[in-house]
Amino acid sequence: MPVLLQLFIKECKQTARSLIYWAIVLILIFDFTSQLGDMEIDRKPEPGQAEYGMKQCDDPEIIMRSALGQLTEEYYRESYTTYPIGFYKNVTLNEKDDQKIGEILREAAGIASREEAGKVMEEWYSASNTASADRFAAEGITDIEYIADTADITDTENMVNIEDFSGGEGPIYQESLKVEPVKGLTYERFAELMDQVDKILGGGSHYNKEYREHDAEIPMTYEDALEEYNTLIEKDRLTGGYARLFSDYMVIFLGILPVFLSVTRGLRDRRASMQELIYTRRCSSFTIIASRYLAMIVMLTLPVLIISINPLSQCISYAQTAGIKADPFAFVKYIIGWQLPTIMIVTAVGMFLTELTDTAVAVLVQGAWWFITVFAGIGSLDGGAYGWTLVPRHNTEMNWQGFHDGFAQLAANRAVYAGAALLLMAFTAWIYSEKRKGRLQIRGKILANRKNKS
Amino acid sequence: MSTTIKIRNLNQYYGKKQALCDVNLTIETGMFGLLGRNGAGKTTLMKVIATLLPVSEGEVSVCGRNVQRAKEIRKMVGYLPQEFSMYPYMTVYEAMDYLGVLSGLNKDMRKQRIPKLLKKVNLQDDKRKKVKALSGGMKRRLGIAQAILHNPRVLIVDEPTAGLDPEERVRFRNLLCEIAEERIVILSTHIVGDIEATCEDIAVLDEGSVIYQGTVTDLISMTEGKVYSAEISKRELEILKKDYIVTSMLTLGNNVMARFLAEEKPFASAKLCEAGVEDAYMYLMHTERGEL
Repeated sequence: MPVLLQLFIKECKQTARSLIYWAIVLILIFDFTSQLGDMEIDRKPEPGQAEYGMKQCDDPEIIMRSALGQLTEEYYRESYTTYPIGFYKNVTLNEKDDQKIGEILREAAGIASREEAGKVMEEWYSASNTASADRFAAEGITDIEYIADTADITDTENMVNIEDFSGGEGPIYQESLKVEPVKGLTYERFAELMDQVDKILGGGSHYNKEYREHDAEIPMTYEDALEEYNTLIEKDRLTGGYARLFSDYMVIFLGILPVFLSVTRGLRDRRASMQELIYTRRCSSFTIIASRYLAMIVMLTLPVLIISINPLSQCISYAQTAGIKADPFAFVKYIIGWQLPTIMIVTAVGMFLTELTDTAVAVLVQGAWWFITVFAGIGSLDGGAYGWTLVPRHNTEMNWQGFHDGFAQLAANRAVYAGAALLLMAFTAWIYSEKRKGRLQIRGKILANRKNKS
Repeated sequence: MSTTIKIRNLNQYYGKKQALCDVNLTIETGMFGLLGRNGAGKTTLMKVIATLLPVSEGEVSVCGRNVQRAKEIRKMVGYLPQEFSMYPYMTVYEAMDYLGVLSGLNKDMRKQRIPKLLKKVNLQDDKRKKVKALSGGMKRRLGIAQAILHNPRVLIVDEPTAGLDPEERVRFRNLLCEIAEERIVILSTHIVGDIEATCEDIAVLDEGSVIYQGTVTDLISMTEGKVYSAEISKRELEILKKDYIVTSMLTLGNNVMARFLAEEKPFASAKLCEAGVEDAYMYLMHTERGEL
């Protein structure tokens, strides 16, 4: 048996004894059960349903109505939500900037005052609730039980929040406020005004190009819903869509957790005072590092594969009853193609920085990267816009078209991260080799520097 | 291939600080003692031979191979550092097996060699014990077993008896002597007793320089006729300490039996004694510093 394989097996056993490893497994299980544990497979939509969900829309009219609705609400509340560099921030404006926003709202929507904005909102939600109640009544559901108090119009979260009804058929999303633009307002002028609002708010607001186009949603019709369902069945064979959703939830945590394992492994030799015993062995540095890396990758992928058996079996079970030919390997394909590159790069960053510095600095670096990535991804939750993010999001079993359109970008993204991970591993092996020869002792230099300063 | 370590004009630096100055040594098969105070450069020299430090200046070869060819040297050298341990949750056998794989031993060889070596270091009954449960002495013996696991031609042990009780220390010395029958064993220590009990050839390092290389007998002979003892009062002892190097003292009621170094008989009651390694070592160190 080759040395690499023998060491790999031993490293896997070591990983299986690590408390950190089991903590990671528990977090992944928790992630799955809390997000997808009570997963319900989408049923075929029926004509005459009260709701079919929402869909994104690129119609300029809808974009304008959505953005102006959002602006009306936020202007009324005197509080604006933004995500500069991906982080949540609540912005409250000074009098001068507040006046500017008021002027923009007047020019774009004809709303002349804060009181008028409140009135517009009240009318919209009142009409919306009545319409919802009528729709449910048409289905024979009359005992609607609201979780939120929609009378409080100062609380937008409540007004547009999920309502539940005793039928137990799941949440109904109320359509958020839409406000008509003034007559004659061109889309170009609207875009200019919204860009100004975004600038006043410091960037990352709902009014920049990316957000305002993402926020534009309209209710789906039966035909829309049926088309999406058919796509899920025909193109994704059901399992593909759920494998993407599964990957979306898992990859969030896989964007940070592996670093703890690789940092712990990297520091273990020093902590156990075993470095010199290993350094003086004949085994090559590449073999040592590669065996550790492969073991961590395999041991981190294994629980994800095992967890995926649950949603896969649910999909297959439903597929059998609905006469759908599911793909039993869909989850494995998505785990390898979607999640593995994230596991690879995060593990590699951890190993590289730990080997370079002999400290746990990789946790901070990866933590910062992950934090920025996750929050920056809020604008592309529904998939399709994968870019170069570490954590590609696709928080729906639907939107096959978005996945299909963004597939080339996603594939490039994943390939780059996998390649970068292998490159980092090669660097790590080189650093390890140098350290074995007494070179690149950065930790020693850091400590000496600290001593000199103190 | 010769079983010799040759060190020529070796200079080692840590930044601007010089740790070894123009070291020249030739080490043949058998036990070789490296004696010196803490910080004399012993560990640096050993790390250079074990490929753990790059050669700053000079040339070092092990069995005819330059130490810069690290991969080849690692096949031939076994190393037991002063401070070491192993993964605490591993059993004795698992730790040996892991290091055996790193040493390139196949499964059959490991199965054959590990029990033999554990028997040799008297750990055969502890092979299922976790490393964290081993005593200091047991850990040292395990350290020796791992260092000779791949049957190296050179074994380097750095301060191996530090922290061991007297019984463990004797057992450890004997073990080293057994191992040295067929290979070079370099024993680095500041404990003169370890050298006296095990080594014939030695080198003494002081502030990075070799101040003596030769046999223990020759070192002792340098001090012959220069070691005296005398029973003196405690007040006289203070005066004696100012003029001579006192190597040992034994309290006898109000008096002290002092053993000291002197070029000539210092006073009538002083008796000439047979010199030991400790006396010779003290004489050497103080001569080098011009204190005698």
